[in-house]
Amino acid sequence: MKRIVISAVILVVMSVGCFYSVSVSCDFTDKLIEQIHEIEDSFEKNDIEAANNAAKRLNEEWGEFVDFAILINDLGLAVDITSSLAEIQSFAEDANDEIYASCDRAEAQIDLFRDMQMPTLWKIL
Amino acid sequence: MAIVLIRAVILYILITFSLRLMGKRQLGELQPSELVVTILISNIAAIPVEDSSIPMIMGIVPILTLVCLDVVMSGVMLKSTKIRKLMIGSPRVIISEGKILQNEMKRLRYSVDDLTEAMRNQQIFDITQIQYAIVETNGKINFLLKNDYQPAEKQDVNAGGSTENPPSVIIRDGIRDSEQLRLIELGEGWLTKILRENNISEKDIFLMTADKNGNYEIIESEMKK
Repeated sequence: MKRIVISAVILVVMSVGCFYSVSVSCDFTDKLIEQIHEIEDSFEKNDIEAANNAAKRLNEEWGEFVDFAILINDLGLAVDITSSLAEIQSFAEDANDEIYASCDRAEAQIDLFRDMQMPTLWKIL
Repeated sequence: MAIVLIRAVILYILITFSLRLMGKRQLGELQPSELVVTILISNIAAIPVEDSSIPMIMGIVPILTLVCLDVVMSGVMLKSTKIRKLMIGSPRVIISEGKILQNEMKRLRYSVDDLTEAMRNQQIFDITQIQYAIVETNGKINFLLKNDYQPAEKQDVNAGGSTENPPSVIIRDGIRDSEQLRLIELGEGWLTKILRENNISEKDIFLMTADKNGNYEIIESEMKK
Protein backbone atom coordinates (compact mmCIF):
# COMPACT_ATOMS: atom_id res chain seq x y z
CA MET A 1 0.00 0.00 0.00
CA LYS A 2 2.89 2.33 0.87
CA ARG A 3 4.41 1.85 -2.59
CA ILE A 4 1.09 2.65 -4.25
CA VAL A 5 0.70 5.85 -2.23
CA ILE A 6 4.31 6.91 -2.98
CA SER A 7 3.78 6.20 -6.69
CA ALA A 8 0.50 8.09 -6.78
CA VAL A 9 2.12 11.07 -5.03
CA ILE A 10 5.07 11.05 -7.45
CA LEU A 11 2.66 10.91 -10.41
CA VAL A 12 0.63 13.84 -9.10
CA VAL A 13 3.73 15.93 -8.30
CA MET A 14 5.21 15.23 -11.73
CA SER A 15 1.98 16.04 -13.53
CA VAL A 16 1.63 19.33 -11.64
CA GLY A 17 5.32 20.11 -12.27
CA CYS A 18 5.05 19.40 -16.00
CA PHE A 19 1.98 21.57 -16.52
CA TYR A 20 3.43 24.29 -14.27
CA SER A 21 6.60 24.35 -16.37
CA VAL A 22 4.48 24.75 -19.52
CA SER A 23 2.62 27.64 -17.91
CA VAL A 24 5.84 29.32 -16.69
CA SER A 25 7.54 29.02 -20.05
CA CYS A 26 4.44 30.31 -21.89
CA ASP A 27 4.21 33.35 -19.63
CA PHE A 28 7.89 34.06 -19.91
CA THR A 29 8.11 33.63 -23.68
CA ASP A 30 5.09 35.95 -24.12
CA LYS A 31 6.93 38.53 -22.04
CA LEU A 32 10.08 38.13 -24.14
CA ILE A 33 8.14 38.56 -27.37
CA GLU A 34 6.49 41.71 -26.00
CA GLN A 35 9.93 43.10 -25.19
CA ILE A 36 11.17 42.31 -28.68
CA HIS A 37 8.20 44.25 -30.11
CA GLU A 38 9.06 47.08 -27.74
CA ILE A 39 12.62 47.15 -29.10
CA GLU A 40 11.36 47.23 -32.68
CA ASP A 41 8.90 50.04 -31.87
CA SER A 42 11.58 52.12 -30.15
CA PHE A 43 13.94 51.56 -33.06
CA GLU A 44 11.29 52.59 -35.57
CA LYS A 45 10.76 55.82 -33.60
CA ASN A 46 14.53 56.36 -33.69
CA ASP A 47 14.67 56.13 -29.92
CA ILE A 48 17.95 54.20 -29.93
CA GLU A 49 18.55 54.63 -26.21
CA ALA A 50 15.18 53.08 -25.31
CA ALA A 51 15.80 50.24 -27.77
CA ASN A 52 19.24 49.72 -26.28
CA ASN A 53 17.89 49.62 -22.72
CA ALA A 54 15.09 47.24 -23.69
CA ALA A 55 17.61 44.94 -25.43
CA LYS A 56 19.80 44.92 -22.31
CA ARG A 57 16.81 44.11 -20.12
CA LEU A 58 15.75 41.38 -22.56
CA ASN A 59 19.18 39.73 -22.37
CA GLU A 60 19.28 39.98 -18.58
CA GLU A 61 15.87 38.38 -18.21
CA TRP A 62 16.69 35.62 -20.67
CA GLY A 63 19.95 35.05 -18.75
CA GLU A 64 17.93 34.43 -15.60
CA PHE A 65 15.48 32.14 -17.38
CA VAL A 66 17.99 30.14 -19.42
CA ASP A 67 18.92 27.76 -16.56
CA PHE A 68 15.27 26.75 -16.29
CA ALA A 69 14.95 26.68 -20.08
CA ILE A 70 17.71 24.10 -20.57
CA LEU A 71 16.15 21.99 -17.85
CA ILE A 72 12.95 21.55 -19.82
CA ASN A 73 13.96 21.99 -23.45
CA ASP A 74 16.64 21.20 -25.96
CA LEU A 75 19.96 22.86 -25.20
CA GLY A 76 20.56 23.73 -28.87
CA LEU A 77 17.42 25.85 -29.06
CA ALA A 78 18.35 27.75 -25.89
CA VAL A 79 21.80 28.45 -27.34
CA ASP A 80 20.21 29.76 -30.57
CA ILE A 81 17.94 32.12 -28.62
CA THR A 82 20.87 33.35 -26.50
CA SER A 83 22.89 34.22 -29.59
CA SER A 84 19.93 35.90 -31.33
CA LEU A 85 19.19 38.06 -28.29
CA ALA A 86 22.87 39.00 -27.99
CA GLU A 87 22.78 40.01 -31.65
CA ILE A 88 19.73 42.25 -31.03
CA GLN A 89 21.61 44.04 -28.25
CA SER A 90 24.65 44.48 -30.43
CA PHE A 91 22.59 45.92 -33.34
CA ALA A 92 20.70 48.18 -30.93
CA GLU A 93 23.98 49.62 -29.62
CA ASP A 94 25.22 50.21 -33.17
CA ALA A 95 21.81 51.52 -34.35
CA ASN A 96 22.03 48.96 -37.14
CA ASP A 97 18.92 48.30 -39.31
CA GLU A 98 19.65 44.58 -39.29
CA ILE A 99 18.07 44.58 -35.84
CA TYR A 100 14.67 43.93 -37.49
CA ALA A 101 15.86 40.66 -39.02
CA SER A 102 17.41 39.66 -35.69
CA CYS A 103 14.19 40.48 -33.85
CA ASP A 104 12.16 38.38 -36.29
CA ARG A 105 14.56 35.47 -35.95
CA ALA A 106 14.57 35.66 -32.14
CA GLU A 107 10.78 35.87 -32.10
CA ALA A 108 10.51 32.77 -34.28
CA GLN A 109 12.96 30.89 -32.07
CA ILE A 110 11.10 31.90 -28.90
CA ASP A 111 7.81 30.88 -30.52
CA LEU A 112 9.33 27.50 -31.34
CA PHE A 113 10.62 27.19 -27.77
CA ARG A 114 7.12 27.81 -26.42
CA ASP A 115 5.43 25.57 -28.98
CA MET A 116 7.74 22.69 -28.11
CA GLN A 117 6.35 22.79 -24.57
CA MET A 118 2.70 22.86 -25.55
CA PRO A 119 1.10 19.41 -25.34
CA THR A 120 -1.02 19.66 -28.50
CA LEU A 121 -2.56 16.59 -30.11
CA TRP A 122 -0.34 16.87 -33.18
CA LYS A 123 2.82 16.96 -31.12
CA ILE A 124 1.71 14.07 -28.93
CA LEU A 125 0.98 11.98 -32.02
CA MET B 1 32.36 14.03 -20.34
CA ALA B 2 31.80 14.74 -16.66
CA ILE B 3 28.15 15.49 -17.47
CA VAL B 4 27.72 12.02 -19.00
CA LEU B 5 29.32 10.44 -15.95
CA ILE B 6 27.12 12.32 -13.48
CA ARG B 7 24.01 11.61 -15.56
CA ALA B 8 24.83 7.90 -15.70
CA VAL B 9 25.23 7.81 -11.89
CA ILE B 10 21.93 9.67 -11.36
CA LEU B 11 20.07 7.40 -13.78
CA TYR B 12 21.58 4.31 -12.15
CA ILE B 13 20.29 5.48 -8.76
CA LEU B 14 16.91 6.40 -10.27
CA ILE B 15 16.46 3.04 -12.02
CA THR B 16 17.53 1.11 -8.91
CA PHE B 17 15.00 3.13 -6.89
CA SER B 18 12.37 2.53 -9.58
CA LEU B 19 12.88 -1.23 -9.58
CA ARG B 20 12.70 -1.23 -5.77
CA LEU B 21 9.45 0.70 -6.03
CA MET B 22 8.11 -1.90 -8.46
CA GLY B 23 8.83 -4.57 -5.87
CA LYS B 24 10.59 -7.93 -5.71
CA ARG B 25 8.01 -9.60 -7.98
CA GLN B 26 9.38 -7.58 -10.84
CA LEU B 27 12.82 -9.15 -10.61
CA GLY B 28 11.62 -12.75 -10.62
CA GLU B 29 8.83 -12.94 -13.16
CA LEU B 30 7.50 -10.40 -15.60
CA GLN B 31 3.86 -9.82 -16.39
CA PRO B 32 3.20 -8.29 -19.84
CA SER B 33 2.84 -4.74 -18.49
CA GLU B 34 6.01 -5.12 -16.38
CA LEU B 35 7.94 -6.42 -19.38
CA VAL B 36 6.86 -3.35 -21.37
CA VAL B 37 7.95 -1.02 -18.55
CA THR B 38 11.32 -2.75 -18.17
CA ILE B 39 12.08 -2.58 -21.89
CA LEU B 40 10.99 1.06 -22.11
CA ILE B 41 13.02 2.09 -19.05
CA SER B 42 16.22 0.66 -20.50
CA ASN B 43 15.69 2.54 -23.75
CA ILE B 44 14.60 5.84 -22.22
CA ALA B 45 17.48 5.86 -19.74
CA ALA B 46 20.00 5.56 -22.58
CA ILE B 47 18.84 8.71 -24.40
CA PRO B 48 19.97 11.47 -21.99
CA VAL B 49 23.20 9.57 -21.28
CA GLU B 50 24.08 9.37 -24.97
CA ASP B 51 23.05 12.92 -25.88
CA SER B 52 24.03 15.58 -23.37
CA SER B 53 22.04 18.28 -25.25
CA ILE B 54 18.82 16.59 -24.14
CA PRO B 55 17.78 17.62 -20.61
CA MET B 56 18.00 14.75 -18.15
CA ILE B 57 14.51 15.54 -16.96
CA MET B 58 13.35 14.18 -20.35
CA GLY B 59 14.59 10.79 -19.16
CA ILE B 60 13.60 11.07 -15.50
CA VAL B 61 9.97 12.08 -16.08
CA PRO B 62 9.02 9.20 -18.42
CA ILE B 63 10.87 6.63 -16.29
CA LEU B 64 9.12 7.73 -13.10
CA THR B 65 5.80 8.00 -14.94
CA LEU B 66 6.04 4.44 -16.26
CA VAL B 67 7.14 2.98 -12.94
CA CYS B 68 4.57 4.88 -10.86
CA LEU B 69 1.79 4.02 -13.33
CA ASP B 70 2.78 0.37 -13.16
CA VAL B 71 2.69 0.39 -9.34
CA VAL B 72 -0.62 2.28 -9.24
CA MET B 73 -2.10 -0.08 -11.85
CA SER B 74 -0.95 -3.11 -9.86
CA GLY B 75 -2.82 -1.60 -6.86
CA VAL B 76 -5.92 -1.09 -9.01
CA MET B 77 -5.62 -4.67 -10.31
CA LEU B 78 -5.59 -5.97 -6.74
CA LYS B 79 -8.99 -4.38 -6.21
CA SER B 80 -10.57 -5.09 -9.59
CA THR B 81 -10.56 -8.53 -11.21
CA LYS B 82 -11.94 -7.09 -14.44
CA ILE B 83 -9.05 -4.65 -14.84
CA ARG B 84 -6.61 -7.37 -13.86
CA LYS B 85 -7.98 -9.63 -16.59
CA LEU B 86 -7.85 -6.78 -19.08
CA MET B 87 -4.26 -5.87 -18.24
CA ILE B 88 -2.61 -9.25 -17.76
CA GLY B 89 -5.12 -11.80 -19.01
CA SER B 90 -5.97 -15.01 -17.19
CA PRO B 91 -4.31 -18.43 -16.96
CA ARG B 92 -5.34 -20.91 -19.66
CA VAL B 93 -5.65 -24.67 -19.32
CA ILE B 94 -4.01 -26.52 -22.22
CA ILE B 95 -4.12 -30.09 -20.88
CA SER B 96 -7.11 -31.32 -18.93
CA GLU B 97 -7.82 -34.88 -17.75
CA GLY B 98 -4.67 -35.92 -19.63
CA LYS B 99 -6.04 -34.61 -22.94
CA ILE B 100 -4.34 -31.82 -24.89
CA LEU B 101 -6.77 -28.99 -25.66
CA GLN B 102 -5.57 -28.32 -29.17
CA ASN B 103 -7.92 -25.43 -29.83
CA GLU B 104 -6.72 -23.63 -26.72
CA MET B 105 -3.10 -24.19 -27.75
CA LYS B 106 -3.86 -22.82 -31.19
CA ARG B 107 -5.56 -19.82 -29.66
CA LEU B 108 -2.49 -19.15 -27.49
CA ARG B 109 -0.22 -19.79 -30.49
CA TYR B 110 1.62 -22.49 -28.56
CA SER B 111 3.22 -25.19 -30.65
CA VAL B 112 3.83 -28.79 -29.61
CA ASP B 113 7.52 -27.89 -29.46
CA ASP B 114 6.78 -25.14 -26.90
CA LEU B 115 4.86 -27.65 -24.84
CA THR B 116 7.50 -30.39 -24.96
CA GLU B 117 10.24 -27.87 -24.17
CA ALA B 118 8.33 -26.66 -21.12
CA MET B 119 7.85 -30.30 -20.09
CA ARG B 120 11.55 -31.05 -20.39
CA ASN B 121 12.35 -27.93 -18.35
CA GLN B 122 10.35 -29.52 -15.54
CA GLN B 123 11.97 -32.97 -15.98
CA ILE B 124 8.90 -34.49 -17.63
CA PHE B 125 9.75 -36.53 -20.72
CA ASP B 126 6.51 -38.41 -21.33
CA ILE B 127 3.38 -36.48 -22.23
CA THR B 128 1.15 -39.36 -21.11
CA GLN B 129 2.24 -38.68 -17.51
CA ILE B 130 0.54 -35.28 -17.50
CA GLN B 131 -2.92 -34.89 -16.00
CA TYR B 132 -3.27 -31.12 -16.23
CA ALA B 133 -1.28 -28.20 -17.63
CA ILE B 134 -1.92 -24.50 -17.34
CA VAL B 135 -0.31 -21.52 -19.07
CA GLU B 136 0.19 -18.77 -16.50
CA THR B 137 -0.24 -15.09 -17.35
CA ASN B 138 3.55 -14.68 -17.54
CA GLY B 139 3.72 -17.43 -20.22
CA LYS B 140 5.12 -20.13 -17.94
CA ILE B 141 3.50 -23.58 -18.20
CA ASN B 142 2.86 -25.52 -14.99
CA PHE B 143 2.10 -29.23 -15.00
CA LEU B 144 0.30 -31.60 -12.67
CA LEU B 145 1.36 -35.23 -13.10
CA LYS B 146 -1.10 -38.10 -13.03
CA ASN B 147 -1.41 -39.67 -9.62
CA ASP B 148 0.77 -42.69 -10.49
CA TYR B 149 3.67 -40.49 -11.56
CA GLN B 150 3.69 -38.01 -8.70
CA PRO B 151 6.66 -38.37 -6.35
CA ALA B 152 5.85 -39.90 -2.97
CA GLU B 153 5.69 -37.43 -0.11
CA LYS B 154 6.52 -38.05 3.55
CA GLN B 155 2.86 -38.25 4.46
CA ASP B 156 2.37 -41.01 1.85
CA VAL B 157 4.87 -43.23 3.66
CA ASN B 158 3.92 -42.03 7.15
CA ALA B 159 7.42 -40.71 7.82
CA GLY B 160 7.65 -38.61 10.97
CA GLY B 161 9.56 -35.41 11.64
CA SER B 162 8.58 -31.82 12.00
CA THR B 163 8.86 -28.92 9.63
CA GLU B 164 11.39 -26.30 10.61
CA ASN B 165 12.83 -23.20 9.04
CA PRO B 166 16.24 -23.71 7.44
CA PRO B 167 19.36 -22.46 9.29
CA SER B 168 20.05 -18.74 8.99
CA VAL B 169 23.39 -17.17 8.12
CA ILE B 170 24.36 -15.24 11.23
CA ILE B 171 27.99 -14.38 10.41
CA ARG B 172 29.29 -13.81 6.91
CA ASP B 173 32.83 -12.67 6.13
CA GLY B 174 33.39 -11.87 9.81
CA ILE B 175 30.34 -9.62 10.05
CA ARG B 176 27.48 -10.46 12.38
CA ASP B 177 23.92 -10.29 11.03
CA SER B 178 21.95 -9.16 14.08
CA GLU B 179 18.67 -9.27 12.17
CA GLN B 180 19.05 -13.00 11.42
CA LEU B 181 20.16 -13.64 15.01
CA ARG B 182 16.97 -11.97 16.21
CA LEU B 183 14.85 -14.02 13.79
CA ILE B 184 16.14 -17.35 15.15
CA GLU B 185 15.48 -16.02 18.68
CA LEU B 186 18.88 -16.96 20.10
CA GLY B 187 20.28 -13.56 20.96
CA GLU B 188 23.71 -11.97 21.09
CA GLY B 189 24.55 -13.70 24.40
CA TRP B 190 24.19 -17.15 22.84
CA LEU B 191 26.50 -16.20 19.97
CA THR B 192 29.15 -14.79 22.31
CA LYS B 193 29.01 -18.03 24.36
CA ILE B 194 29.42 -20.22 21.24
CA LEU B 195 32.34 -18.13 19.99
CA ARG B 196 34.01 -18.44 23.39
CA GLU B 197 33.42 -22.20 23.52
CA ASN B 198 34.99 -22.59 20.08
CA ASN B 199 37.78 -20.19 20.97
CA ILE B 200 37.28 -18.22 17.79
CA SER B 201 36.86 -14.53 17.07
CA GLU B 202 33.95 -13.25 15.01
CA LYS B 203 36.23 -11.74 12.36
CA ASP B 204 37.94 -15.11 11.77
CA ILE B 205 34.67 -16.70 10.65
CA PHE B 206 33.94 -17.03 6.94
CA LEU B 207 30.42 -18.38 7.44
CA MET B 208 28.32 -19.33 10.46
CA THR B 209 24.79 -20.69 10.25
CA ALA B 210 22.41 -21.56 13.09
CA ASP B 211 18.82 -22.67 13.58
CA LYS B 212 16.23 -22.05 16.30
CA ASN B 213 17.31 -25.15 18.21
CA GLY B 214 20.81 -23.80 18.65
CA ASN B 215 22.38 -26.17 16.09
CA TYR B 216 25.19 -24.32 14.35
CA GLU B 217 27.92 -24.71 11.77
CA ILE B 218 31.09 -22.63 11.63
CA ILE B 219 33.38 -22.36 8.61
CA GLU B 220 36.60 -20.59 9.48
CA SER B 221 38.12 -18.03 7.18
CA GLU B 222 41.17 -19.18 5.24
CA MET B 223 42.50 -15.63 5.50
CA LYS B 224 42.68 -16.01 9.28
CA LYS B 225 45.83 -14.46 10.69
